[in-house]
Amino acid sequence: MKIRSSAVSILQKPNSINLLYVPAVILFICLIVYPFFEGLRIAFTDWNGFSQHYDYVGLENFKYLFKDKSLFIAIVNTLLYGIGSTFFQQIFGLSYALLLNKKIFGRNFARTLIYLPVLIAPVIMGYMWYFIFQYSHGALNDILSIFGAESVDWLAKGDRAIILIIFANTIQFCGISMVIYLAGLQTIPKMYYEASGIDGASVFCQFRYITVPMLRPAFITSITLNLIGGLKLFDVIKALTNGGPGYASHSLSTLIDYTYFKSQSAGYSAAMGILLFILIMVVTLAFNKLSGEKELG
Amino acid sequence: MNSFKRIMILVLIAATGSFLFASGQQDEGVVELTMMINFGADTATAVAFEEVVNAFNNEYDGIEVTLIAGDANYEALMKSKMATNELPDVWSTHGWSVMRYSEYLLPLNDQGWGDRLNPAIKPVITDSNGNFYVLPLDVDLAGVSYNKSVVKAAGVDIADIRTWDDLFAAMKKIKAIGVTPVHIGGKDNWTIGNFFDWTAPAMYVTDPDNNSSDELLNGDFDTAKWEILAGLFKEMNEKGYMNVDNLTSTFSDSARALAEGSAAFEFYGNYVLTEAWTYNPNAELGFFPVPAFYKSDSPSLISGERAAIGVWKDSEYPEESMLLLNYFTRPENMTKISASSAIPAGFSDVESDTGKLKDDYSRWFGTPAFPYFDRAFLPSGMWDTMCSTGAGILSGDMTTADAAAKMNEDFNRMYK
Repeated sequence: MKIRSSAVSILQKPNSINLLYVPAVILFICLIVYPFFEGLRIAFTDWNGFSQHYDYVGLENFKYLFKDKSLFIAIVNTLLYGIGSTFFQQIFGLSYALLLNKKIFGRNFARTLIYLPVLIAPVIMGYMWYFIFQYSHGALNDILSIFGAESVDWLAKGDRAIILIIFANTIQFCGISMVIYLAGLQTIPKMYYEASGIDGASVFCQFRYITVPMLRPAFITSITLNLIGGLKLFDVIKALTNGGPGYASHSLSTLIDYTYFKSQSAGYSAAMGILLFILIMVVTLAFNKLSGEKELG
Repeated sequence: MNSFKRIMILVLIAATGSFLFASGQQDEGVVELTMMINFGADTATAVAFEEVVNAFNNEYDGIEVTLIAGDANYEALMKSKMATNELPDVWSTHGWSVMRYSEYLLPLNDQGWGDRLNPAIKPVITDSNGNFYVLPLDVDLAGVSYNKSVVKAAGVDIADIRTWDDLFAAMKKIKAIGVTPVHIGGKDNWTIGNFFDWTAPAMYVTDPDNNSSDELLNGDFDTAKWEILAGLFKEMNEKGYMNVDNLTSTFSDSARALAEGSAAFEFYGNYVLTEAWTYNPNAELGFFPVPAFYKSDSPSLISGERAAIGVWKDSEYPEESMLLLNYFTRPENMTKISASSAIPAGFSDVESDTGKLKDDYSRWFGTPAFPYFDRAFLPSGMWDTMCSTGAGILSGDMTTADAAAKMNEDFNRMYK
């Protein structure tokens, strides 16, 4: 009883409410802040990821970032995955939302069907696509063979592999965009459409001058989420191509994993990790600033 | 509700207490050792290990060994154990006793059996100071695996394949009878790395007149030689001497192709023959030395660790662990392990049943053997660069010059 009353009295003191977020801060420090600074420290070493011995090498790992051609490929791919997936997810997501916002037969079933892939773990989704695209006994080649066409080694060319990864990621996560846009569409008052209809506005004009401006918050949310997801893309690449052929489809995330565990260069891998952190931060901040400015304007 | 809570708390306390009590219990005077091996529980080698360990447990009352068979994550698991310095008492080193594990293992030079080591494996497991850290139970001695029936049908005599030119001539004849000369199961790109592991010694170290081993060990990588080697690989692909699905077929596909006679040559260890015989027990298979690159050189074999075990230097029970390790030196135990893979034993004076490959081992006895190229001459971590650059060449995403430059880049970055 005494304990309870003293606890209550502590909470009644000014600023004591701050105590309530201490557990969250401790978790944040343990799981985010400490690993971040530990990664930063490792980036200045030549640690191989398992030995008890390593040396500090100054800026060597960071200097090598500028010489590494596979890193350049991974940065370009990361941007392609991020921007490409985001672009197509908005197209599909918005199209589905516009269609399924209407009262059509099977609307709820279609919404569920489109959102369903979001619930599947990306690595499982990646393997499902792999079974479709693989050369021997792949579903796509089996279908082609029915029509007498030659089998194609879909994942054996770097540029084609990148397109297929973007495609797989888009199909999986366009459901998120659809849900965001559906929510946005349902907040637009119908009277705008009715009034514009009376004034003789076409469907396209209604979309251009009512729907798009009113969906701006939804656009920002959806694009930011998809952009971050695309820039961090990992599981689908691991399952579909493992970064190959060669280094052709590596993203920064998979190259970091490869460099740490396969090339046994934990120090260099940590330096890449810092680069990825900066890249995501810059792209996201730039987008937020841009969208914020437009909103103000 | 309150009484329910009280009951739940009592149950939890009782469960926790009994768990702590049980985990603190240990049979008085019994030393518990842990042994980890990289072979999967259902493999013949793991079964052989289990039999030896069971015999050891029966013979020594005061020691209880727990054998843990490996899986595909064995390497990653061992890396995390090394990082935390929490290793098993005894473990198998899967080819990395010197470059990766030596800082964690006890040297075994004083165990009295160093002179009995098979000459094909002794240099592979010995470091630059003359120390060795593992007991090799067998020797992974291999060359180019081949289907004897296919080769015969194509009119190729294996004895005539002494250089790469001879190999290309043989591949041409094999392609002419409608068989894929070389099968690569490159979906898991280690199979591509293996090609380079097999062929790089002929380019860099086997020929005394073109020996770059000192340069490699001193941190100087000859990029031009790698470009030539990568060029051979590319040429094989461009001439149609490889399977068309070389980037998406698997190792098992390779084994099946060899067994069924739809492929003639493969650049794997003899484990591919063991797997091929599971598809077709009657297949006429064998191996021959890897052709020389230089005219002045002669063909050579590849040797490496397969089943090799060492003792953790920080083990709580070093004496008992060493007793276990030395138990494997008994001829009957070493024979059991080596025969499970049908390869020669780690000691020269121990016989192994090499089964269907007995004639091949006899035929190539005395052929010079060189270690796996990446393990002996490249910095740790380069293996995957070999695999990825090779895959890049096959896909056309990398030129041979790109591949050689990437090898040089990573060599210089990883060399210490």
